[in-house]
Amino acid sequence: MKADAIITVDNMSFYREDRPIFNGVSMSIPRGKITAIMGPSGTGKTTLLKLIGAQLHPAAGSITVDGQNLHAMSQKALYHARRKMGILFQESGLFTDLDVFENVAFPLREHTQLPEDMIRDLVLMHLEAVGLRGAEKLDIAHLSGGMARRVAMARAIILGPEIMMYDEPFSGQDPIGRGVLLRLIKELNDALGLTSVIVSHDVQETAQLADYVLILFEGRILGAGTPAEILSSEKPEVRQFVRGLADGPVTFHFPARPIQEDLLE
Amino acid sequence: MITQITQIGNAGVRFCAHVGRAGIFLINTILQRPKWRQVWPLLSVQLYRIGILSLPIILLSALFIGMVVALQGFNTLQKFGAEQELGQLLALSIVRELGPVVTALLFAGLAGSALTAELGLMRATSQLSSLEMMAVNPLWRIVAPRLWAGFIALPLLTILFNVMAIYGGQLVGVDWLGVDDGSFWSNMQSAVSFHADILNGIFKSVVFGFVVTWIAVYQGFYSQPNARGISEATTKTVVYASLMVLALDFVLTAVMMGGW
Repeated sequence: MKADAIITVDNMSFYREDRPIFNGVSMSIPRGKITAIMGPSGTGKTTLLKLIGAQLHPAAGSITVDGQNLHAMSQKALYHARRKMGILFQESGLFTDLDVFENVAFPLREHTQLPEDMIRDLVLMHLEAVGLRGAEKLDIAHLSGGMARRVAMARAIILGPEIMMYDEPFSGQDPIGRGVLLRLIKELNDALGLTSVIVSHDVQETAQLADYVLILFEGRILGAGTPAEILSSEKPEVRQFVRGLADGPVTFHFPARPIQEDLLE
Repeated sequence: MITQITQIGNAGVRFCAHVGRAGIFLINTILQRPKWRQVWPLLSVQLYRIGILSLPIILLSALFIGMVVALQGFNTLQKFGAEQELGQLLALSIVRELGPVVTALLFAGLAGSALTAELGLMRATSQLSSLEMMAVNPLWRIVAPRLWAGFIALPLLTILFNVMAIYGGQLVGVDWLGVDDGSFWSNMQSAVSFHADILNGIFKSVVFGFVVTWIAVYQGFYSQPNARGISEATTKTVVYASLMVLALDFVLTAVMMGGW
């Protein structure tokens, strides 16, 4: 797997105010595949995406993207390397003072000297790909959550990235919206030859989509394999997560001393 | 005792860290290499939002402040039979002190808090992260135009404040209370020095504009990305900026008057 890995995380640790989020995590993301990183809320999935994109820096270990350690680069080199990456944030990250068209055109205006008619054609083609060509003049405030994510997706792919990262793409979506996003991610990945990394806790949707699944729990990789292998795993934590069981190693209660001690104090 | 000393030490270290980070933030923002074709479009939008949209409140406040100063001044000067000196009193108070200080305080409350809230919300809704991931430096694209716009807008607003406040004073002093029109304007003209009064007042507003906008963009950029964080950052902007304006006003006045 490591031989054709596009992203490699090696013995990486990361802390938030002395609280360990990752403690010596290692993993690799295969090139040209859809890899899902799953796990319960609060296990650091979004943090992992930010570490891969070098928006956060690991306390120890290394993360390489296409053979480059983004965390050891100058800002100029980092920005150059980031042009190969696209990310779809959970909150979409669209600019609220620009309309749909200008949001999608933004990377082209920033990084290219293309003439206006070519920018228009490219934007319309990408909006067509996400099914929103007719919405080009809409304000961002007038978009539904699903539409905003599709606009953000069009913006993220317009410069032709090699790696596309999705942060909880299905959360808060109605069944139709989930289906649309599911198909879109798959089609874009296949049509553009992308490497996709999906961070999610939606087991069914992600299992349908992914070629490879990593389960993250308490700052370590608990399971890795194909969706079928993960769904049939007998590890208690994995089992509890994929089957949505209330009882198991992932406890409902936040760690605390016995309630009797609190009440009788 | 040791605990208290430790706490004071910690607070000192935190304060120094904040000041250092704010300084690095400012230097990094100012030293960003501009994309010249984008400079005017980005700056003009912020000049409109920060400057033009603040104008009605600034002008209205100036009108009332000028009227109040004239009214108070007339009552005091009348006791000494010196009401003809009203123009001088009004112009010097407005141009030297009230113009730069009140405009900066209003600016901190209006534009400063709006800048902080805007940047805080951009942080909370991942707009700043999106920019970074699209290989666009938010310091150049978002922070720098706002910083320069505040720096440019406040001196211009101060000049307009001065004009409107003197007009308000003239309405009360001349048109209402009957101070002689010629005395009012000629005393003002002879008493006000272009260099010592008008330029010094504008210089103060340049400093205030820089400091207020710096505090506003810094607080917004580093605010916690949640409702409480943005609320705290907005409050800090208004409080810190107002205190800095008042403190700097004293320092600048002392320097300009040759006290130091």
